Amino acid sequence: MPLNIDWQQILLHVLNFTILFAVMYFFLFKPVKDFMEKREASYQKKHDDAKKALEDAEKTKAEYESKIAAAEEEISVMKSEAGAKTAEERNRVLEQTRADAQNILETARKRGEIEHDKIIAEAQKEIADIVTTATEKIVLSADVKKSYDEFLKSAEGNLKNE
Amino acid sequence: MSKKRRIVSVVVFAAILLVILTGIVLLGKPAPRPESLSETMRDAVLHESMKVSLFGLMDVNPGLISAFAVTGILTVFALICRIFVIPRFKEIPGKFQLVLETLVDLFRNLAKSNSPEKNRVLSAYVFTAGVYIFVGTMFELFGFQAVTTSGASISLPAPLADINGAIAMGCLSYLFILVGGIANNGWHGFLGTIKEFSLPLSMSFRLFGALLSGALVTELVYYTMALSFIVPVLVGVLFTLLHALIQAYVLTLLVSMFYGEVSEKKLQKPKRRKKKQIKEETTDNNTITPEVSK
Repeated sequence: MPLNIDWQQILLHVLNFTILFAVMYFFLFKPVKDFMEKREASYQKKHDDAKKALEDAEKTKAEYESKIAAAEEEISVMKSEAGAKTAEERNRVLEQTRADAQNILETARKRGEIEHDKIIAEAQKEIADIVTTATEKIVLSADVKKSYDEFLKSAEGNLKNE
Repeated sequence: MSKKRRIVSVVVFAAILLVILTGIVLLGKPAPRPESLSETMRDAVLHESMKVSLFGLMDVNPGLISAFAVTGILTVFALICRIFVIPRFKEIPGKFQLVLETLVDLFRNLAKSNSPEKNRVLSAYVFTAGVYIFVGTMFELFGFQAVTTSGASISLPAPLADINGAIAMGCLSYLFILVGGIANNGWHGFLGTIKEFSLPLSMSFRLFGALLSGALVTELVYYTMALSFIVPVLVGVLFTLLHALIQAYVLTLLVSMFYGEVSEKKLQKPKRRKKKQIKEETTDNNTITPEVSK
């Protein structure tokens, strides 16, 4: 053969390399590769778990935030309702009080008028009585001057009594 | 004072070294060589006279002995790793674990990037081939000795500097690509590989040429006594290291590229349909155009 190529030796080289391939594959390449793949898978799992947990947390957070917002809205509605109710109550009480005051005033005025009328009526009655009595006395005594004085005195006395 | 003393001591040390070196160069006589330079060169290529006995069974080129030695070394290394190192692998790798992982990852990525579809066997093959070529070429540096059939001592060369080793590697890689193509792509893979019929030749001779030329240059340098100081550090170590890396990279890259090309699933082109469609379209156009023209 040219260049001293020897097929037997080529085959021996091939055999040598094949053995080396088997050895390297089973003792070095495969175990290292398996280890690396296992580690990669475990990290991938960790990563996925973390991502899932984060997503769940985000979801829960959003849920709570919406709940809080709803609660705040409710509170504000309740507050405004309470405010309106209070104002209404106050107005009602005020109105009531005003009406009561008006009533009292009215009653007092009416009573005052009645009293006034009564007093005047009594006074007139008394005056009339005095006049009658005086007239009776004047008529009976016929002493005009005396009677006149008598009349004045009794009138004075009546006034003092009053 | 101390500075002066230091300078003096350095100068004295350098002078002593220089004297010793010149003494060696001037007084040393090269050991009597069994061959002349041209014979050495010729033998490095053809391995006519320097044969080594393989366990007394047959006489083989020293490259084959080197190949067995490299396989032995790598086997021991792999076994040690498998028994003592890999069971103690940790989640966060230590230094040696990192080296192993980087090595495996390097070849896996090479296989993955060049052959994205099928790469399980390819990555293992490329890993083995890369490690074999690198370690085999570096093996040359250690200068393990063997005794030839004529009784002379010879330092074992790189396994792939032997033409038989290089042909074995090139043809095996071609066969591997062929098998991969057939397994993954059937008839198309077979044809795709056969198309590259010059591949085994080019791969074999690339390896052989690169490693042999490295060996020859080193041999030439070593042959001259005066050049065997300091220069071998550059020529021997750096050249060997460089072409060990380059050859390992080139062969693995080529194998993974061709493998990827051959095992790639090709989309079947719907040729008949296209023709039919084109025909229909043209007939439509023909029927429409006269109406338009009318």
